[in-house]
Amino acid sequence: MKALNRRKLITASAVLAMLGLVATAIPAQAREVGVTSTQIKLGMTLPMTGTASLGYNKIPGAAKAYFDYLNANGGVNGRKVTLIVEDDRYVPTEAVAKTNKLILRDKVMALLAPLGTANVKAVASSVNPARRGVPVLFVNTGFSGFADIKKYKTTYTVLPSYVMEAKIMGEYIKENFAGKKIGLLYQDDDFGTDALAGFKSAGTNFAIKVPYASGSQNAAAAAGWITKFKAAEVDVVILFGVSSATSAMLGVAAQLKYAPQWMLGSVGGDATTIKLTGVPAGVLYNAIGFSPVPATTDMKDEYVKFFSDIYAKAVPGSPFDLNVLLGMNTAFMTAQALKAAGPRLTRKSLMAAIDSKGATFANSALVPAGYSKTSHVGLTGYWVGKYSPTGDLSPIGGTYVTYTTDSGSGPVVKSTYKRPAMPAKGLPN
Amino acid sequence: MKKVRILSLLSVAALATTVLVTAPTVAAAAPLCDGKSPIQTCVGATSDGAPYAMQVPANFNGTVALYSHGYRFNVDIPAGIPLVGGYKVTNTPEPVPGGDAEVAKYFFSQGVAILGSGFARQGWNPDSAIKTNVELIDTFKKQFPKTTKVVAWGSSLGGVITQGLAEKHPELISAAAPLCMADNVQPQLQGAGDFLWGVKVLFDPTIKAGNYSAGAAGVAESYADLIKVFTVMGKLQAALATGAWPDTSSATGKALAAAGVPSRSALLLIGLMAGIPTQSAHFDSISGPDGALKLTFPLALSPALAILENGTEAAALAVMATQDVENQAGGAIFDNTQTDYSARIEGERVIYNAALSGNTVIDALLGALSPANPGAPRAVANPAAVAKMKALHTNTGKINVPTILMVGVADPITPAGASQRLVDLYAEQYAEEKAAARKAYQTTRDYKNPVNNLLMIWNTTPESYTKFNAAGSPITTAPAAPGTRHCNFTSAQLVLIAKSLVQASNTGKLPSGGALYTAVRKAGNLSIDKGINFPWMKFYTDNQ
Repeated sequence: MKALNRRKLITASAVLAMLGLVATAIPAQAREVGVTSTQIKLGMTLPMTGTASLGYNKIPGAAKAYFDYLNANGGVNGRKVTLIVEDDRYVPTEAVAKTNKLILRDKVMALLAPLGTANVKAVASSVNPARRGVPVLFVNTGFSGFADIKKYKTTYTVLPSYVMEAKIMGEYIKENFAGKKIGLLYQDDDFGTDALAGFKSAGTNFAIKVPYASGSQNAAAAAGWITKFKAAEVDVVILFGVSSATSAMLGVAAQLKYAPQWMLGSVGGDATTIKLTGVPAGVLYNAIGFSPVPATTDMKDEYVKFFSDIYAKAVPGSPFDLNVLLGMNTAFMTAQALKAAGPRLTRKSLMAAIDSKGATFANSALVPAGYSKTSHVGLTGYWVGKYSPTGDLSPIGGTYVTYTTDSGSGPVVKSTYKRPAMPAKGLPN
Repeated sequence: MKKVRILSLLSVAALATTVLVTAPTVAAAAPLCDGKSPIQTCVGATSDGAPYAMQVPANFNGTVALYSHGYRFNVDIPAGIPLVGGYKVTNTPEPVPGGDAEVAKYFFSQGVAILGSGFARQGWNPDSAIKTNVELIDTFKKQFPKTTKVVAWGSSLGGVITQGLAEKHPELISAAAPLCMADNVQPQLQGAGDFLWGVKVLFDPTIKAGNYSAGAAGVAESYADLIKVFTVMGKLQAALATGAWPDTSSATGKALAAAGVPSRSALLLIGLMAGIPTQSAHFDSISGPDGALKLTFPLALSPALAILENGTEAAALAVMATQDVENQAGGAIFDNTQTDYSARIEGERVIYNAALSGNTVIDALLGALSPANPGAPRAVANPAAVAKMKALHTNTGKINVPTILMVGVADPITPAGASQRLVDLYAEQYAEEKAAARKAYQTTRDYKNPVNNLLMIWNTTPESYTKFNAAGSPITTAPAAPGTRHCNFTSAQLVLIAKSLVQASNTGKLPSGGALYTAVRKAGNLSIDKGINFPWMKFYTDNQ
């Protein structure tokens, strides 16, 4: 037996020696699912069809536009990025099926920007990317629970949490609408629960809170919501729902000439998406909105200009809006993570790169990111703006004043964050 | 294939007739063999009176496959009771699953004999069945001294019996395959009790849902429960779209109805808290008909329909097994006085939020089902009966021999989580074995990596499978989707298990590598992906 072990040792040494030779000859070769010497495969699930797809279905096109630009400029360490997109229609069980396909059949290296709290939760419990060691990068949901690094150890958030957003909204209300009656429309699930926690932390008192079950939002429901807000005689109505809920509400409000002071959460606050549903731009005028990234019309901003130019070439005629900007920003951060992971790219090295360098990744956001070895928290704040007569969100007073906070009981403070300059040619370095 | 199965069952029935006519009436006498070739059939009864059947090919190579059948009701069910009416207690031996001729043919082609007992007692019977099997193995070896190896397999409760045999008598068997294995008696009946209790306190408070009287009176009460539960299911199905509540609903149920809570959301909630899968034979919780319901159907309706279909399939067993085990234990065995149903559905409430009609409705339902509501009294067990139930045979999950598990991912009676538990426990066992091997290396300098002794095969569902007619209504007459229903395996899948058992008995190792992947792919709808992970049965949420 000992002789056999020695033989095994000799064989193993020979194999290692051979591997050393191979490693010398092909330095960039790595053995990892979804990674070859020429390609990195990523997978994305989100609603591309159905009522909830409104606006969000532009995200894959935006991400692909940046990846195509990246690939045309040599990719990452010689590898081209391929993005496989699956339509989950915002149905959690379908997100599970499609994610299984991406992992088992398409064999993607990582999941990128899956959308929706319920969907990401369903995938986490049924597909269990954490158990498989599959990175879930930059999820398109602000549910604060995904920052629980023990429970979702391979998941990275990017959007500021709904708790943070509600806390910042609450502070704004305190400063600007003291003594006014406030109403809240929210989604009756974890999305809304997070918002309620943030408002509670901010000490916001509501004259009325109107929940809606996910999937029930439509014009008829909106008429009912308005009846409730009218009865409560609210001055300010916060719409903390998805785009289709915001659009239904504003569309019916326009018909009924119901015009309180609107305050729109970022999830459902993209003006382009709202206007696409037929809501007159004037309804949005003077509404208050929140965003972590610059105004999409701000062509003086180097990131907005850069992304806008690429997108215009990749998807001619498609308006550049918040969903597009966020989609491209996510792809841009992903490219930097892939680059930072080095030529021997693995799932582990990718996550280690975000842990160690993610907080310094260049990106368009005007607020800091919280990535570290002990935190998978992404962006941590917002600036406050108002919608123009044409429905575009711009900073109040013409200057971005950003606020940052956490998902706990920390205070809301003005941010002193200095955004990194864009790397040369918008490529990871 | 159906035709083959029917023929095979007829042949088993013929064997039983032979036993009645010609077999010695004294139990444990030598088997009565027909001496035929190429397949010799022997019948007899073990000392407990359990009839058995052996079929031995002329080219017998010394290996025999012992099959343990699943749960059979231990009382006759009167005609007229939906779905299960007309059942008569039977202890007909079943030497291969469902008399599957393809499986028997494969074994015979390899020179492997088949063997199975009908067991003396039906119902929940692992204690007696394991003993029966031990005796049966001995009887077979005496009759066929050439016997060198025994592989054991079984379905459902037969899976529990098989695993139990492997745990208690690893010296008797070379490999084991518990298929669609039930969990131990307490977790299994806790899940049944949770569902029945939910149906009772919301939809029909006259349902007993356990705590049945002793003897014949209790059996009669269980029959009445069967009728009531199926009646409620029918009413819920009829009102699925409108969300109306059955006229038999409790005061609690009626209050929820008045508050606008749809009955389908209530049904879904009690299904989730009992751990019933949200994919069923015809409802995938993904597909929707073209038109206005394209998205609404999978989001709001399909999960409840799946619970309805699965719950209906599981209800008869839930009622009758509860009555059976209560009868064995001497009193009420279901207790939910300490159960936190809110914790039970913590993971699912966001996933099925739309079908549950949002957090406000979920909280209203959980409030109605909480111990604080006197209108939904919790069930209190008899401690002595619970102690007696716990004393019934319980598998530890220890893997002693090469073991193959296979289960449908949406099996409504023996959920995938029961098999997952063994997978997880074995991961711990393997880690301990590895640590011991490393420790041994310190003194021997001869490291031996422990051999993997567990292969988990999942019978998966298609990505989507609900079909709709031209009017947009779901079609429920199509064959059940793979991975759904109880122990719903194809002949090809069962033959794969048979092949794997034979290989394991020949080599001492489970199949692995490329050959395994190819065989699994050819059998169809199966996955051996180690990343698949199902939650354990809900009982363990309360008892971790």
